[in-house]
Amino acid sequence: MSKSPAVRLGRGFVYLILAVGAILTLVPLVWLVASTTKSNDDMFHYTFFAPHFTAVNFTSLFTKMPFVNYIMNSLFVASTTVLVQLFFSSLAGFALAKYEFKGKRVIIVIMLSTMLIPGQVLMAPLYELINHLGMMDSWSGLIVPGAVSVFGIFLFRQSIMQVPNELLQAGRIDGCSEFRIYWDIVMPVSRPMIGAFCLISFMGSWNSFLWPQIILHNRTLYTLPVALNQLRDLYSNQYGTLMAGTLLSILPVVILFLLLQKEFVAGLTAGAVKG
Amino acid sequence: MREASFHRLQHRYAPYLFVSPFIILFSVFGVYPIFKSLLLSLYITNGPSDHVFVGLGNFKFLLGDPDFHTAVKNTVIFALCSVFLQLPLSLGLAILLSQKWLKGREFFRLAFFAPQLVGQAFVAVLFGVLFVPKFGIVNQALAAVFGMPDDTKWLQNPSLVMPALVFTSLWMYVGFNMIYFLAALQGVDTELYEAAKVDGANSWQQFLAVTVPGIRPVAVFVLVTATIGSFQLFELPYILLNNSAGPNKSGLTLVMYLFQTGFVSGDLGYASAVGWTLAIGVLVISLFQMRITGAWKGDNA
Amino acid sequence: MPTFPYGKAAFSFVILALVSGLFVTLHRVEPRKTTLTMWTFADTHYESYRKALPAFEAAHPGVTVKVEHVNIQAVTSRLQAAFHANLNVPDVVEVEIGSAGSFFRGPLEHVGFLDLTDRIKKSGLWERMVQSRFATYTMQGHIFGLPHDVHPVVLACRRDLLEKAGIDINSIETWDDFIKAARKVTIPGKQYMLELSDSGTDNLEVMLFQRGGGYFDPEGRCIFDNEIGLQTMLFYVPLVAGKDKIGSTLGSNQILTQAVEQGYMLCLFAPDWRTKSMERDIPRMSGNMALMPLPAVSKGGIRTSTWGGTMLGIAKKTTHPDLAWELAQYLYLNTADLANRFKDTNIIPPLKEAWNEPAFKEPRPYWSNQPLGAVYAKLAPQVPPQYSSPYVVTAKAKFGEALVSCVQYYNANGANGFEDYARKRIKQSADEVRRLVARNPYHKPQGSEN
Repeated sequence: MSKSPAVRLGRGFVYLILAVGAILTLVPLVWLVASTTKSNDDMFHYTFFAPHFTAVNFTSLFTKMPFVNYIMNSLFVASTTVLVQLFFSSLAGFALAKYEFKGKRVIIVIMLSTMLIPGQVLMAPLYELINHLGMMDSWSGLIVPGAVSVFGIFLFRQSIMQVPNELLQAGRIDGCSEFRIYWDIVMPVSRPMIGAFCLISFMGSWNSFLWPQIILHNRTLYTLPVALNQLRDLYSNQYGTLMAGTLLSILPVVILFLLLQKEFVAGLTAGAVKG
Repeated sequence: MREASFHRLQHRYAPYLFVSPFIILFSVFGVYPIFKSLLLSLYITNGPSDHVFVGLGNFKFLLGDPDFHTAVKNTVIFALCSVFLQLPLSLGLAILLSQKWLKGREFFRLAFFAPQLVGQAFVAVLFGVLFVPKFGIVNQALAAVFGMPDDTKWLQNPSLVMPALVFTSLWMYVGFNMIYFLAALQGVDTELYEAAKVDGANSWQQFLAVTVPGIRPVAVFVLVTATIGSFQLFELPYILLNNSAGPNKSGLTLVMYLFQTGFVSGDLGYASAVGWTLAIGVLVISLFQMRITGAWKGDNA
Repeated sequence: MPTFPYGKAAFSFVILALVSGLFVTLHRVEPRKTTLTMWTFADTHYESYRKALPAFEAAHPGVTVKVEHVNIQAVTSRLQAAFHANLNVPDVVEVEIGSAGSFFRGPLEHVGFLDLTDRIKKSGLWERMVQSRFATYTMQGHIFGLPHDVHPVVLACRRDLLEKAGIDINSIETWDDFIKAARKVTIPGKQYMLELSDSGTDNLEVMLFQRGGGYFDPEGRCIFDNEIGLQTMLFYVPLVAGKDKIGSTLGSNQILTQAVEQGYMLCLFAPDWRTKSMERDIPRMSGNMALMPLPAVSKGGIRTSTWGGTMLGIAKKTTHPDLAWELAQYLYLNTADLANRFKDTNIIPPLKEAWNEPAFKEPRPYWSNQPLGAVYAKLAPQVPPQYSSPYVVTAKAKFGEALVSCVQYYNANGANGFEDYARKRIKQSADEVRRLVARNPYHKPQGSEN
C-alpha cells in the first residue's frame, strides 16, 4: 500500500519530533555516563568522553567511603519498606474493595483527604514522635512511619474491585478463611498491581533524601542519597566521584525497571484508567 | 453448623482486622502529627524545649511576610508551568506514540520514561553540573546550535532560575505522565473513531468528540496529582541550588520555606503555620480542579 | 522454577530483602565506643585531625577519640536536633561561621554549647589569638566557640596575563587604581578582571567588612542599611552592572578556578582557604599566579577583609568537658601541628605566635615564589570582626535581594537617581530583618525600643 507524499511528510515529521525529544531526554544521561570516565582535570575540557578513560572516579568512590555498604543499606531499607507496605496496603485495599462495614466511608474520605496534605507539614511533629519512640538514628525510623502507603491502599482498592466476586464466593464455599481468600485468591490475580506498586514504593524509598538526612546520624547507617550528599564538600566539589556515585545509585532502579517493565506499566495505568 | 457461624463471624470481623494495621499506624504516624502540628502552629518555638504561645500570630505574620509571598509566587508559577507545559507535552507525545503505523514505539516509550527512574535528589545533582556556565552542556549546546553566549548563569541569575527548574522538571516528568495518557488512549474504543469518521469529522473534531471524553478520567487524575506534586516541590530546587533558595530567593518554594524556618532556623511553630496554609491551599485547588473537570459526576466510592 | 504466585516483582524484592538483610547483619559494625567524638564538615580538616589524633591519644592513656566527617548542611540540622532531643551529641564539633548564629536563637541558658569564656580568659588565649575572631561566636558577652582560623582576604591573580597587559600588581594600592587597570583588560563575555557576583553577597560582603561595615552590631542590631552599607552598595553595583562592569561570576568554586585557567577570570577573592582549592583544581597554573593584598578603599586604608570561618564548640552535654577542652587546645594551639596543617590547608591559625614557624615563611612556587603564609599573617591582625546574630543568614539573603534590585535598577537607569533608590531599597531589606528579629520572644537586642 503506497502512501501519498503528504502522509509521508507528516510521518517523517512525527519521527523527527520524537527523535529530537528522545535525544533531549537521553543526552543528560549519556553525559552522566561519560563524566564518570573522565578525570577531574579532563572533566570540563571535553564535552562528553575524554580520549583516555579512567576508573579513578569509581576507585575513589569506593576508597573514600564504604560505598558497597551504602548500596546494601539502601537496598535493605527500600526492599523492606516495599514488602511491609505491600502487605499492609493490599490488605487494607482488599478490605475496602470487597467488604461492606461500618466506618468504611469515613476511612475512605480520611484517606483521600490526607493524600492532599504535604508530608512535610507533619515532619516536625513526626520528628519529635520518632525521638520519643527511640527510633531516632535507626532504620526503623524510616520504615515504620511509612509502613502503610495511603496511595498504595488506593491503588489496590481500585484493582481489587475488578476481581469478580464469584471467585471469592467460590473460595468461601471451599471453606477458605477470609485471610486465605486474600492470600491465595486475590493477591495472585493482582500481580500487575503488585508489580507496579513494588516499583513505585521502591523508587520512593530509594530516592528519599530529606527524611533520612534528618533521622540518620550514624554514618554506618546512611542510605545512598545521604551518603552522596556527603561528597558535596564546601571547598571543592569532586564532580567525577559525585557523578560516579550518582550513576551507581541509579543503576539498581534501572535494572529493576527493565526487569519489571511490563507489570509496572500495566499496573500503574490500571489504577488511573479504572479509577 | 458451628463452622458456618465461624465463617459468618469472621466474614463480619475480617475487614476490621485487615484495616487495623493501617488504622493503628495511621493514628500514630498520621493523625497524631496532624493534630500536633496544628497545635504547634500556634506557638513560636526554639526546638522542642522552648515554646511561646502566640495564638494566630504566626498566621498573621505570614500574611505580611515577604518571603512567604515569594514562596507562594514561585510555587504557583511552577505549578502553572507544570500544568500548562508539561501535561500538553505529555499528551502530545502520547498521541504521537499511539499512532498505529509508528515503528520503534517501545524504544521511544522507554527513552521518554527513563528520567523518571532517576530520583529528584540525583537529578538535581546531575543538572547542577549540566547548567554550569561556560563548561556545562546546556550552555555549550545553546552556544553551538543557536550561537548564544556560553556564560549564561542559569542558576545564578534570578530570572533564569525558574526556567531552569521548569526545564528540569519537564525532563523528569513529561515521560512519566505520557505513560498514563498512552494507556488512556489505548483504552478509547476504536469503533468510536470509525463512527466519527463516517460522520465526516476531521482529526481535530475526532480528538474533541472521541479522544477527550475517552481520556477524561485519566486526565483528571494526572492533573490533580501533577498539581499536588508541584505544590510539594522541594528537593529538586534545594539540591540544584546548592542547599539554598537561590539568588534573590528565586527558587524558594513553599515546602523549602517550611523546611528552612523549621529545620534550619529552628522555629517548628512557624513552619507548621506555613505547612497548614499550604495544605489548605492545595485542598482548595484540588477540589476546584475536580469540580470544574466534573470528576465527581462519576464518583460512587 | 516453581512459579511464585505473586509475580516477578514481589519475588525480586523478597530476594533483595534477604540478600541485603544478610549483608547488613554480617557487616554490622558496632560503633566504636570512644571517650570523645568530634564532627568536622571539611574534608581537609578531617584528614589533618586524623593525622594529629594518635599523638593526643598516646599522651592520654585510656582515652580514645573519633573524628567524623559530616556534610556541612547536615552538621547544622543534626546538631540543632541533637541539642534539643535526647540524642548523642558529639563532644566536640566544628561549626561553619554562617550557621553559628542559628544556635543562639533561644534563651542564653538553652545554648547547646559549653560557655568557654572563663577558660579562654584564664588561659590567656584571649591575648594570644586574633581577638576579632571571637566576635562571631559570642552571644551577650559569652564566648561559645574557639576560632579555627582568621581567613584574611587578598586577591589571587593571573600574574602572567596581567603582566602581559602591562599591569603590575605591586603598583595597585587602592580600588581606584584597580578599577583603572580593570577597564584595560575587561572584555564583557570574554574576560573579566575580577570575580564579582551580581546576585549573591559573597563578594559584596567582603567589601562591606573591609569598610568596617557589617550585618549586625555587637548588640545584635541590624545595621547593614547604615551609611557604610549604602556606600558599599553604591561602589559595588557599577562594578557588576551597566556598560562599565569589570566583574562577573560563574558560581561554584571549581568552575571559577577553571575560568581562571582559561583566562576568563583574572582575579579571584582569595581568603587563605581558597588558595588550596586553586592549587588542587588548576595545578597547571603554578608560577602564573600571585597574591595581592586587597586594594584599599583610600590610600593608607586597610588592605584586607574576611570571608568564611569555623569555630570549635564543646557540647554542654559532654561527659568530659575538661578532656574536650584539652583536645580543643591540642588541635588549635600546638604550633608544630599548626604549621603542618598550614602546609596541608594553607589556612593560617588565629594563634599569633604560630606565625613564626618557618612553614609560614616558605616561598611558594605556585604563587610566583611569594611566601603565602607571611602574606596572610601580615594582614591577619587587621581582619575586621563579624558580629553574630541568629539572623545572619536572613540578613545575608535580604542584603542580596537589595543587591539584585539595585543591579536591575542600575542596568535600566544607570547612575540616574541610583543613590536614592539604593538607600530606600537597602532600608527596606533591613526593616524586613528587624521585623523578624523583633518577633523573637527569647531575647531582644539590647537598646531596641521594643
